[in-house]
Amino acid sequence: QVLMEAWEKGVNPEGNSTNPSNWDFSNSFFFAGTVVTTIGYGNLSPSTVAGQIFCVFYALFGVPLNLAFLNQLGKGLNAHLLTLERWVQKPGRAQVQYQFMICFHYFKTMFPPLVFSYVEGWSYGEGFYFTFITLSTIGFGDYVVGTNPNKHYIPVYRSLTAIWIVFGLAWLALVFNVGANLMEKFLQLKWHKSDLSLAEGATTKLEDEPERPRIHIPS
Amino acid sequence: MLLAAYVGYVGLGAAVLRALERPVELQAAQHLLQERWELLANHTCPQPPALQRLVEGIIQAYKSGITLQGNTTSLGRWDYSRSFFFSISAITTIGYGNLSPSTAVGRIFCIVFALFGIPLNLVLLNETGQLMLLGVQHCAHHLEEVFHWQNKTFLMMKTCALVTGLFLSLLLPPLLFCDKEGWSCEEGFYYSFITLSTIGFGDHVIVMNPDHTCPSWYKNVISLWILFGMTWLALVIKLCINFLD
Repeated sequence: QVLMEAWEKGVNPEGNSTNPSNWDFSNSFFFAGTVVTTIGYGNLSPSTVAGQIFCVFYALFGVPLNLAFLNQLGKGLNAHLLTLERWVQKPGRAQVQYQFMICFHYFKTMFPPLVFSYVEGWSYGEGFYFTFITLSTIGFGDYVVGTNPNKHYIPVYRSLTAIWIVFGLAWLALVFNVGANLMEKFLQLKWHKSDLSLAEGATTKLEDEPERPRIHIPS
Repeated sequence: MLLAAYVGYVGLGAAVLRALERPVELQAAQHLLQERWELLANHTCPQPPALQRLVEGIIQAYKSGITLQGNTTSLGRWDYSRSFFFSISAITTIGYGNLSPSTAVGRIFCIVFALFGIPLNLVLLNETGQLMLLGVQHCAHHLEEVFHWQNKTFLMMKTCALVTGLFLSLLLPPLLFCDKEGWSCEEGFYYSFITLSTIGFGDHVIVMNPDHTCPSWYKNVISLWILFGMTWLALVIKLCINFLD
């Protein structure tokens, strides 16, 4: 009983001494990040009422801020891709760019799990599972980086992870956007939507999906 | 039709996950019980290493969702309704985490399931959001015709709808949770917001207390609330983003 309560509060009963505090600055920073990106692992969560209320208002402003930021980042990445494309228009470079893109995406999906499984002592499958669950912002919390009391992490480890999460989120948001677009086409909703847009008239159109601003990828 | 596909998809996920996870859970629960009895039988005063092992074993089991209460374990984490709820929490990206697949196959399935489920969820939210906006517009036009108000109707309707949404999504449900789940009202409000914004910590989760038996309409109402509440909150956030830009 005691164990379960302790675990729920985020205190790890394993090990001999109490761990470095769960709420020191870098861990709190990481926590704030998981709130704002809506990942929400849950291995750590405010237990005081004041903390919970603060969390609610913090998220109320933080989540739109995060989405706007990711939107900008996505546009930036997109612009980058465009310049790359233009650079590639010159003959003979198409092959290189294609290979580069494949390499980049492969690297992006396969490399981080390697790092995590090495540092955290997970298997590669677990690392990949963690990567996906984090970047899709599902964030179960069964695997979280930097929480093993038996390991020593370099101080910037969590900050580096945070940076990776941000870029990975922008990238995965692109992927999901494409997926949602395809799905709409598949379900023949675009056809249906044209009827609706006629009915809407001069009022503001809800073009993008409500959760993530759609980043239009020029084909 | 979209809604049917959505529900079907979630149901499929729930069924598969249940089939995958339940046998393993049973096994793990039995193992834990066995260990515990062994420990208690052999040592009246457990030695530190054995105790340490037991602690680790309990934590491991707790992480995979089995709690040790009294003499028995609480099973039925992966029954059909909870698997359904888990699937929903996965594709809406809430991701509570109080329940998560522990088998390798279950995890791989979960990844693939989410890969298609999340866009499906986004599409559904988009459609619902558009329907809501349309509804508000129709109301505004109707009011214009009836009362001959001028340009302000749409703005007024929007604010009215926003406030109604606020009431229905964030202020009313906590009262329901207060009553059914035994939380305080601030906790209910906290839970509502954390769920609807898809942060989903998982420190508070509904329908997970094995001692509670809830009426059958409760879970359906919760699912509806999640769907409409998320749409409303997404619209609000979109407004905020437009404002920030």
